[in-house]
Amino acid sequence: MKSRSNWTRRLALTAALALPLAWTAGVQAAEPVKIGYAIAQTGPFAPIADSQIKAYQLWAKQIEEQGGLDVAGEKRPIEFVVYDDQSDFGKIPGIYEKLITDDEVDLLLAPWGTPFHFAVAGVLERYSFPMVGNTAASVQLRDLAPGNIWFPTSAIPDRIAEELVKLLEAEGVTSVAVNTLQLPFSQEVKTFLIPALQKAGIEILVDEEYAPGTRDMTATLTMIKRTQPDGILALAYPPDAITYMNQARELDVTAPVQLILIGPSASFFRDMFGADLDGVMTVGHWSPQKSDWAKAKPFYDAYVAMHGERPDYLDSALAYTSLEILQQAVAKVGLDKDKLRETIAGETFDTINGPVRFDGVENAETPTMLLQIQGDNLEIVWPPGEATQPVKEKAPWSQ
Amino acid sequence: MDILLSGQLLLATLVLGSVYALVAMGLNLIYGTMRLLNVAHGELVMIGAYVAFWAFTWANISPLISLFAAMALTAGLGWATYRFLVRGMLASGQVMQRIEANSLLIFFGLSIILQNLVSLAFTANERAYAYLDQVVRFGDISIGADRLVILAISLAVSLAAILFFRYSMTGLAMRALIEQREAAALVGIERDRVSQLVFVLGFALAGLAGALISMTEQISPFSGFPFTIAAFVVIILGGLGNLYGGLIGAFLLAAIEVYGVALTSSAYRSILVYGVFIAVLLWRPQGLLGGKRLS
Repeated sequence: MKSRSNWTRRLALTAALALPLAWTAGVQAAEPVKIGYAIAQTGPFAPIADSQIKAYQLWAKQIEEQGGLDVAGEKRPIEFVVYDDQSDFGKIPGIYEKLITDDEVDLLLAPWGTPFHFAVAGVLERYSFPMVGNTAASVQLRDLAPGNIWFPTSAIPDRIAEELVKLLEAEGVTSVAVNTLQLPFSQEVKTFLIPALQKAGIEILVDEEYAPGTRDMTATLTMIKRTQPDGILALAYPPDAITYMNQARELDVTAPVQLILIGPSASFFRDMFGADLDGVMTVGHWSPQKSDWAKAKPFYDAYVAMHGERPDYLDSALAYTSLEILQQAVAKVGLDKDKLRETIAGETFDTINGPVRFDGVENAETPTMLLQIQGDNLEIVWPPGEATQPVKEKAPWSQ
Repeated sequence: MDILLSGQLLLATLVLGSVYALVAMGLNLIYGTMRLLNVAHGELVMIGAYVAFWAFTWANISPLISLFAAMALTAGLGWATYRFLVRGMLASGQVMQRIEANSLLIFFGLSIILQNLVSLAFTANERAYAYLDQVVRFGDISIGADRLVILAISLAVSLAAILFFRYSMTGLAMRALIEQREAAALVGIERDRVSQLVFVLGFALAGLAGALISMTEQISPFSGFPFTIAAFVVIILGGLGNLYGGLIGAFLLAAIEVYGVALTSSAYRSILVYGVFIAVLLWRPQGLLGGKRLS
């Protein structure tokens, strides 16, 4: 009996000591905020989606360093729930439905790419779950019902076409060659660009299209070289942008204004072409050189420090901007979906891309811009009011 | 029309054709000797490209040197694939149709595993480097030194392969296996040893192609697939298992892409390529040189 009594006493003592510890631990370790997303980790879009994932990873690391996510005044750790959509936007609705109903995430982040955003929009609508989009750009975004999805991009095809023609006029360009990849974004830009060029009286000397997978542009570039346009508008994606760069250099195709739609803003592109990119323009609306966006350079430095490469000036910047918007909204109103929706739709957010405010689904604050590689930097050169540097002529190709 | 007479177009065709020929050769060898559909062929090209990329980026080693490492690594993979995945299947006595179907599944699995292993090791990020990027001029014709080197090496390897299959005992044994697999054993050819060698050689050629291509294209864990497609188009055009046919298929495909576009418009490239492809298959389902293997 004596022995049992001792055991009972020991157990009681242990319990008495353990209880306050457990209570304290419960208070200190607040429940994590579950944040879900699906993105292309495998398949053909995985390489392009990588710069978006890296922006998400940087943000998560910074939140951890700050002691957690500010949820209406309370710091809570975050936990990512991530799925691979295998570059198949048909899988997106099912995954996001699972994230909402099965994983019961508190917040959602965007997948990569326009069709993937369209695929998730219906699910958000059905569950009234707000999500800030990022790497999507199409005039069709405006057809989506506002309320549960927003797009911080200002690189919308009709606006790109409009601003590009203004830049060409300002640079005294009277003739252009347009070479367009047969994929939705580049085709959509072309749809608005050709009438805008014609309206401005800019002569279109070459208007060619090519299919994805094209590995040789000798015939088209020879034709462009013979016509000697003032501007070459390569509405290309990275693989064919590389073909353009290699073969335009070989054939010494020169024009004072040369634009490549997508490619030059990616880190690897500058590793490949170095000084030959000097003076090449591209689409984008962010640069760390923009000194009045106080958060822009710190983001660039933190991204380079973490990943050992430059961020993509479109995708990484847009992804991080969307997280800043979400973070600021959660800090203000917590995780309540109705309050979040109201806040995201109505507030102005301070981001690496300057102030962002939405009108419907669109960013109403950030102007559509054009970037140009100048030396080692990607500078904003258009519109003049936002420019970090004036436009300069494309430098001669290295030979 | 004078553009059609330009040496620039001819050179572009030769460069593109030589790349297609090199990429397709390894695939054709393996199909020819064993009727195995290696849909992971593009992933071996991708691995060769990664070897060259990292050798250049980490140690500043020229891809013209690291291509030997790329070939050694992919040859090792070829040996392991044959020993552990293929040999048992070939020895099981299954009918040829079943072997073709099973090999498709095995190599499809291998393709996914290789893509994801590389992605896990190096992330899915696109990577590129610049090497031999100065322009070389011959009169009115100009070309990047990197593409010129690719042309020279690809043509040299193709020529070496032709000589190897025509004059060396091992090459002749491989040809015998391609033409008469069953009869080859009767005349004393060690099918197992030759098949293993074919795997090593076929994979090494893919690795070599990858190391060369990395000089002019960006690479990612998923960049191999287009090369698998191109290689299949080439070997089907030329005649499955026919190495000379593969060379003809490669330069025909390149000529369609370059001259077809010059004659019409780049918008019609896919229509031209696949139009000719379908026309050839309707006219000669066995491919251009199908049925006349290697002779």
